[in-house]
Amino acid sequence: MFLIANKKILLAITLFVMVASTTIIATLGLNLGIDFTGGSLTEVSYQSAPDKSDVEDIVNTQDLGGISVRKSVDETGRDAFLVQTRDLSEPERMELNTAVTSLGEGGDVVRFTSVGPVIGQELKDKAIYALLAVVLIIVSYVAFAFRGIGTPVSSWVYGAITIFSLVHDVLIATALMSVLGYVAAIEVDVLFVMALLAILGYSVNDTIVVFDRVRENLMANRTEKRTKREDAGIAYEEVEYSLTKPYGEIVGASIKDTLARSINTSMTTFVALAALYFIGSDATQTFALILMVGVFFGTYSSICIASPLVVIYSEWRNKKTAVK
Amino acid sequence: MTDLSQAQTTSSQGFIRTFRALIIVLAVAGLAFWVYQNAVQPEADKPFKLGLDLAGGSYLIYEADVSKVDKAEVPELMNVLRTVIEKRVNSLGVEENVVYLEQSSFVTDEPIERLVVELPGVTNISEAVAEIGSTPTLEFKLYDEELAAKQETLQNLGSLTANASGSKAEIGNVKINGEAVSQELPFKDTGLTGRYLESAALEFAGGNSGQLSNEPLVSVRFTQEGAELFAEITRNNVNRQLGIFLDGEMISAPNINEPIAGGTAVISGGFSAEEAKELAQNLNFGALPVPIELQSTQSIGASLGAEVLDKGVKAGLFGFGIVMLFMLLWYRLPGLVAGIALLSYVTIMLALFQFIPVTLTAAGLAGFVLSLGMAVDANVLVFERMKEEYKNGASSREAAIVGFSRAWSAIRDGNVTSILSAIVLFWLGTSMVKGFALVFGIGVIMSMLSALVITRTLLIALPDTKKSSGTLLATLFGNGLKK
Repeated sequence: MFLIANKKILLAITLFVMVASTTIIATLGLNLGIDFTGGSLTEVSYQSAPDKSDVEDIVNTQDLGGISVRKSVDETGRDAFLVQTRDLSEPERMELNTAVTSLGEGGDVVRFTSVGPVIGQELKDKAIYALLAVVLIIVSYVAFAFRGIGTPVSSWVYGAITIFSLVHDVLIATALMSVLGYVAAIEVDVLFVMALLAILGYSVNDTIVVFDRVRENLMANRTEKRTKREDAGIAYEEVEYSLTKPYGEIVGASIKDTLARSINTSMTTFVALAALYFIGSDATQTFALILMVGVFFGTYSSICIASPLVVIYSEWRNKKTAVK
Repeated sequence: MTDLSQAQTTSSQGFIRTFRALIIVLAVAGLAFWVYQNAVQPEADKPFKLGLDLAGGSYLIYEADVSKVDKAEVPELMNVLRTVIEKRVNSLGVEENVVYLEQSSFVTDEPIERLVVELPGVTNISEAVAEIGSTPTLEFKLYDEELAAKQETLQNLGSLTANASGSKAEIGNVKINGEAVSQELPFKDTGLTGRYLESAALEFAGGNSGQLSNEPLVSVRFTQEGAELFAEITRNNVNRQLGIFLDGEMISAPNINEPIAGGTAVISGGFSAEEAKELAQNLNFGALPVPIELQSTQSIGASLGAEVLDKGVKAGLFGFGIVMLFMLLWYRLPGLVAGIALLSYVTIMLALFQFIPVTLTAAGLAGFVLSLGMAVDANVLVFERMKEEYKNGASSREAAIVGFSRAWSAIRDGNVTSILSAIVLFWLGTSMVKGFALVFGIGVIMSMLSALVITRTLLIALPDTKKSSGTLLATLFGNGLKK
């Protein structure tokens, strides 16, 4: 199998991508939205919009701390501005409303969100806990579901490698978000966390399907040797399995067997997301984009990372036992 | 092997297979009709429930300050708070408003008690905020002689130092015996608050017991429990001052002349008749058992929400269409069956949304569109397995049965992890995340069921054939770009 033969190159590419993604995230940072930082966001749309500088000036007269005004288009296609400030009290909100709608023509506040700093911080903590909990559950479940797989690689290794490829997918998605935040001022919101969790679920599903085939092919290609032993008067049987084909070959065959399924499922998911991206609401556009990338790399990682990696691990262990 | 024997056709088995398939198709069609009726009829029992981000409206999140009350009492107090606010919000005439309690999850050190008010269709929240804000907190507090004495000592000290240095000294941070002295009014909590209030009324003083004649007063009537507490406080504290605090401000501090057993009290604070009437009214709506503060608000215009909904539905329909088309072109006849299963999946999901009901949000819709793509996964897994058997000479029906049994372990393991992730999300999430998690979790389970039950039944009911026969039917069971 081509992928197994080139597994070292694949591992090098993977490590490079992971280091690059981490570097991007570390340098550019994440552009956290008010969901997490606290603050307020007012979307005001106009029939005939005023200049951005006018909006900035009128908001600035109100002493709302550091503000930012961005030009945008609302869902119905009207010109709009997004005004971001610290979190606002009710009188402050009303003042701001009156101020921004007094400009231009047909001004209307179509969306207003204000998040207290406590709620923002709580959400940030929650998101991290949720991601960690999901990862932990996945590694435990994979180790449990594949517990009978035994030779030559233990089920925990499959679990750990699943997590490794998940980290790869999540890093890429986060790096993309980091770049989007830097280039297009797109902010990280709750939907992004949901997208990451959905990527976790999707990617692990893909990896499990391949590993499931590895399990099946391992069972089909092994011979067992039973030896009767006796220890302290208790008789027992020891079963030793040996593979009739090299492990790498079995894993390679499993990838090939599941290739059509992996590609077809990611195709259907990808097109559904594409529909959401191009036709769906602006509110879920970034969500769809992040997921499209996640689905692509989730499939890629289950084929090109997870499976070659179990082979690399088994060969490394063989070498270690041979030296001993 | 019982499964395999099913593949050998006898006419009665053939009839049962067709019959089962027919029942499923009819059941789904019936369900689809029910969903449609509920969706379009204005007076339906189970219409779709739209979240505020789709229907337009406002969320107000209040934080309750429970630092001053006994922890054991918090749940009860919060319930009283909810009832009081609910009455208030109802008085606004907003239809289908929702008031509920929420507690911060374990990630915060101290649990934070929150009250969420949902106002569908209201985007001008100032009226609602003002209405809720006018709910008074009423507290009865006893004069605290100890604290008063300390404050007096400090006061004297302050004027002494001021005299000595010729400038006014700061007394806020002075401590006596290492203890900071509170600068608040010297009154301590008695536990008697507005929650024990039964009713309030405007009265005019009769001119006796030192009150001005015709002075507007507010008389309050306590509940049974409140009356007992009030009697106990007055009995134990004769000749002390009982301060009456409204929204944290002391409005009067009458002397307790004798124990009061009747369960009524009079608040006099130099009100005008108008003020007294308003206070009585506000108190009748209920007083807040604990102070609350507006933490977060969100409001979305109805036209904006409608647009988001419209686009989300369009994206769903389009995504559904492409996935169907793909399955049909690639997997041919089984693909058509998968398409029917997908249609059933959508029908069942929509029915569940109406029935449970699941509040649909923009995020929920996105999750649903995502699930459309993933829902065919179990079908794809089975069809790929089927393909192998079919290529190796098994008949189409045998191949289908073997395909299902072989693909089961992968379907199970893949879906269990997704369901577990959905549970974590639901457990940790805010209401928005919960909506997504619910749609995602139910979607995974239903898509699995639709493949295992509907696809399987329909596939087995199809006429049997072998690849080697070379007929049109045999080609229809093939897949991909080859003939």
